[in-house]
Amino acid sequence: MIALWRERLRIPLMLSPALAVILVLFMSGLVLGMMQSVGYLPIIGRYEVTLDAYRKIFSREDFYRSLSLTVWIGFASTVLSTILAIICAMTLRQTFRGKRWVTFIFQLNIPIPHIVGAIGILFLFSQSGFLARLAYVAHIINEPSDFPALIYDRYAIGIILEYLWKTTCFTGVIVLAVLQSIGEDYEDLARTLGASRWQSFRYVVLPLIMPGILSSSILVFAFTFGAFEIPYLLGQRYPSALPVLAFRNYTDVDLNARPDAMAMSVFIAVVITVLIFIYMKITRTYLRE
Amino acid sequence: MTQVNLLQLSKAYSSADTYAVHNLTLEIASGQITALLGPSGCGKTTTLKMIAGLLRPTQGDITFDGQSVLGIPAERRGAVMVFQNYLLFPYMSVGENVGFGLKMRGVDQQTIRRKVAEILDLVKLSGFEDRRPKQLSGGQQQRVALARALIVEPKVLLLDEPLSNLDAHLRDEMRELILNIQRQLRITTIFVTHDQEEAVVLADKIALMFDGELQQFDRPNAFYKRPISVRAARFFGGVNFVDGVKRGERVETPLGIFHVNRQEIPDGPVVITIRPENLKLGEEGENAIQGRIRSHVYLGTHARFKVEAGQWHLEVVAEASSVEQFHDGEILSLKFPRENIWLVPTEK
Amino acid sequence: MTLEQAATRDLAIPPSQIAETGWGWGQVARWLVVVGIIVGVLLPFIPLAVWSFSHRWYFPALIPTQWSMRAWHYVFSPGSQVPKALGYSTVIALVVTLLSILIGIPAGRAMGLHRFRGKTLVEFLILAPTIVPTIAVAMGIHVAFIKYGLADTLLGVILVHLIPVTPYMVMIMSSVFANYDPEYEEQARTLGANPVRTFIYVTFPAILPGIVVGGLFSFIISWSQYVLTLLIGGGRVITLPLLLFSFAGSGDNPITAALSIVFVAPAVIFLIVTSRYLTGENAAIGGFGKI
Repeated sequence: MIALWRERLRIPLMLSPALAVILVLFMSGLVLGMMQSVGYLPIIGRYEVTLDAYRKIFSREDFYRSLSLTVWIGFASTVLSTILAIICAMTLRQTFRGKRWVTFIFQLNIPIPHIVGAIGILFLFSQSGFLARLAYVAHIINEPSDFPALIYDRYAIGIILEYLWKTTCFTGVIVLAVLQSIGEDYEDLARTLGASRWQSFRYVVLPLIMPGILSSSILVFAFTFGAFEIPYLLGQRYPSALPVLAFRNYTDVDLNARPDAMAMSVFIAVVITVLIFIYMKITRTYLRE
Repeated sequence: MTQVNLLQLSKAYSSADTYAVHNLTLEIASGQITALLGPSGCGKTTTLKMIAGLLRPTQGDITFDGQSVLGIPAERRGAVMVFQNYLLFPYMSVGENVGFGLKMRGVDQQTIRRKVAEILDLVKLSGFEDRRPKQLSGGQQQRVALARALIVEPKVLLLDEPLSNLDAHLRDEMRELILNIQRQLRITTIFVTHDQEEAVVLADKIALMFDGELQQFDRPNAFYKRPISVRAARFFGGVNFVDGVKRGERVETPLGIFHVNRQEIPDGPVVITIRPENLKLGEEGENAIQGRIRSHVYLGTHARFKVEAGQWHLEVVAEASSVEQFHDGEILSLKFPRENIWLVPTEK
Repeated sequence: MTLEQAATRDLAIPPSQIAETGWGWGQVARWLVVVGIIVGVLLPFIPLAVWSFSHRWYFPALIPTQWSMRAWHYVFSPGSQVPKALGYSTVIALVVTLLSILIGIPAGRAMGLHRFRGKTLVEFLILAPTIVPTIAVAMGIHVAFIKYGLADTLLGVILVHLIPVTPYMVMIMSSVFANYDPEYEEQARTLGANPVRTFIYVTFPAILPGIVVGGLFSFIISWSQYVLTLLIGGGRVITLPLLLFSFAGSGDNPITAALSIVFVAPAVIFLIVTSRYLTGENAAIGGFGKI
C-alpha cells in the first residue's frame, strides 16, 4: 500500500519544486496583476471590483499610440529578422572554407544580454555615433543633427535594429538546425524532377522549414511585444512602447495610475496568450496535413 | 531511349587528393537496366548524383546519346532520381507529389491531373491522389516516388537502393513492377545497390565498383562464372580459393595438380576459385583431392559442408539427402570439375 | 574524412563533403551574406571596446583624441558602486543557478523520462514564463512581496529570478533525460550500488554536461535581468544591469562601455565552454537560445 502511494506520488514530487515556482511566483503574479487591474486587493483591504482601469486606458490616446508603436516594433522586427535568418541559415548550411568560424560568430550574440547590444547600437547609430562620424568624414553630413535620428526616434529604428541584431541569430540557429535535420536530399530530388534553384526553395525547402519559422517568429513577436529594457533605453519618451508606458504608470507618484498600469500589463499578457493560442491552432492544422 | 556514357569520370574529395570515384568509364546501353554495385563508400551514389547533375565531376565527361550533359543543370538534364527513403514531400498529397515535376515545368492543372491519374494507374495506385504520404505503406510510398519520377518522362531513371527498404515479399512485388514498367517504357535505368542479389534480379548488366574504381562490368551470370578477382568473387558469395601456380592448362597447388580448361590469364601465381555448388563431395576422378568434413548445416532444400583440405577450408553445397550419407570427421574425396574451375589473379 | 567515416552513411559521401569548383553568382551571394554576418554581429562590440579606453572623443573624430584608463580605474576602484553591484549580481546569479539545478533535475527527469496524465498541461505551465513578459508578472507580484517583506530584499530578488530561469533549466534537463537510459541505474543497482551511490556514480556523470549548459544558461539569464530586479529590488538591490542602465542614461560613455564589457564576461565564458557544441554541425543546442 505504502509502496503504491510512493509510486503514485513520485512524479508529482519530482515536479513540485518547478511547479511551485510556476504557480506560487509566476501564476500568482499574473492573478494578482489581474486582481489589481480590477481594483480587487484584499491584501490592502480593497474589495470592490471595477473595470474602470480598462475603461480608462481604452480611452487614453497615449495608450493607443503606444500600442501601435509596440505592434510596429514587434511586426517589423519579426518579419525582418525572420527573412534575414532564413537567408543566413540557407548560406550557413552550404559548405565553404571558414564555415565553422562564421557559424560560431553567427551564434555569438545569443548569450549576450540585450542591454549590451542596445548600448552598442546606441554608440553606433546615435547622431554623434560612429556611423554619423563616418558620414561626416565622407562629407555626407556637416553636423550631427544632419544625421537621421535612428535612436529615440519616431519609427523606433534603434529598437528594431537591436532586436534584429539578437533575434536574427536566434531564429537563424533554429532554422539552421531544422535545415540540417532535413538534409539536402529533398532539394536534390526536386532538382532532378525539374525544379530550378528558386522553385526548389519555394516549393520544397520553405514548406519544410515553415513550422520552425512559425514557432520562432511567434516567440520573437511575443518577446518584442512585451519587452521593456530596449524601448526604455533606446526609445523616445512619447509615445513609448506599451511595456514602458505600463512601467511609467506603475512607478508614477500618483498612485491612482497603478490600476492603469496593471490593466496595461494584463492587456499585454492577454494579447500574447491569444497569439500563442492562434499559433498553436495553426501549427496543429499544419501538422495534421 | 538514351544511351549514357561515362568517360574517365572522377570525383575528388574536398580534403585530399583521394577520389570518391576514379577514372570510371561505362557504356550504358539505351533502354537497359544497369546496376552500380558495391559496398558502402565505393562511390556508386556519387556516380549516380553526377549523372543526375547534382554533383559536378572533377574530371571526365558524361554523355547522353553522345552529347555531353555536363553543362546542363540537374533540372533540365532529364535524369530523374528516386531516393532510397522515397522523400515524399510530407506537406503535399499523393497527387501533388506526383504532379510536382509537371508543376515545376508550368504545365496546366488539368493536364497535370490527367497525367497524374494515368501514371498512378501504371504503378497500381489509382484513386490515391488525395491521400497523405503518412497514410501509405512503405511499398506504396515507393510506388508514389516512382510515379513522381516517371511522370516527367525522364531520359534516364536513376534509382538509389530501390529494394533495400522493403521487406521480402514487397521486394518481389516491387521488382516485378519496376521490370514491367521498364519493359513498357524502355527508359534507360541505372540503379545503385550494395546487395548483389538485388543487382542480379533487376539488372541487365552490373558494374561492380570497389573504392571508387570499376572492377567488372558484365552480365549478372558472369559474376558467378567468371569473376575478375578474388574480391569480386567474394562479393558474389564465392568462398573457395586455393592458391597455385599456373603453367598452361595445369595449376600446381599444395593440394595437388589441377587440370583446367584454357584460360586467358598469364602463367604464374593464380588463385583457383570454384563455387560451393560445383564441388562434388565423395566423387573421384580428375582433380579430386582428399578432405575432412569439419562441420555441416542442414538447410532443408540443401546442405552446406565445411571441408578441410591442407591449409584450406572449402565449402560445399550438396543436396539435402547428403547429410545422411556423409558425417563430420569423415575423410573423403572432393572433386573439382575441370569446366567449373575459374582462375583469378592472386591478391596483392 | 576517411572512407570508413563515409561508409557510416549509406550514401557514399554526403554531397557537402565533395569539392565543388568554380565561382558563380551563388558564391558571390554567399560571400556577401558571410561578410554581412561577420560585420553585423561584431560591429556593435567595437565601439564598446574603443569607448572604454577613451577620454576625449568628440564628434566627428573617428578615434578618440585622448585615451585613458579612467573608466577601467573607476570600474575596479573599491570606492565606486561597481564592486558592490558585481557582488550582488554574482551572489544572486549563483544562488539562482544552484536553486534552478535543484529544481530542474527532478522536474527534467519527470518530463524527459516519464509519461503521465496532464503532462501537456505541466509542459504548458512550465513554458509559459518564457512567453509572458516578465514585467506583467513583476508588477503583479510586487504587492505580495511588499506584504510579506520580500520586496527590496536580496531573497525577494532571488525568488523572482527563478521565474525566468526555471523553464529553461527544466527544458534543458528534460531533453537531457529524454536521451538518457535509466537502465544504467538499474544495472548499477543490481551490481550492488545503493540509490545515493547510483546517483553519484551513474546518473550524475551522465547528466553533467546538461547541468553545465543549463547552469550557465541560468546564470546568464539571472545575470541579465533588469526589470525584475528593478521592481522587486526597489533600488536597494543594485545589480550590474541596473548600474549599467543608469550610466547609459547619464551619458558617461567610457564607463558605460567598460561596464558593458564586464557585463558580457559570463556570456563569453558560456561561449567558450559551449563552443564545442556551438561551432559543430550540431546547431541544435543553440535552439535552447533565449531571445
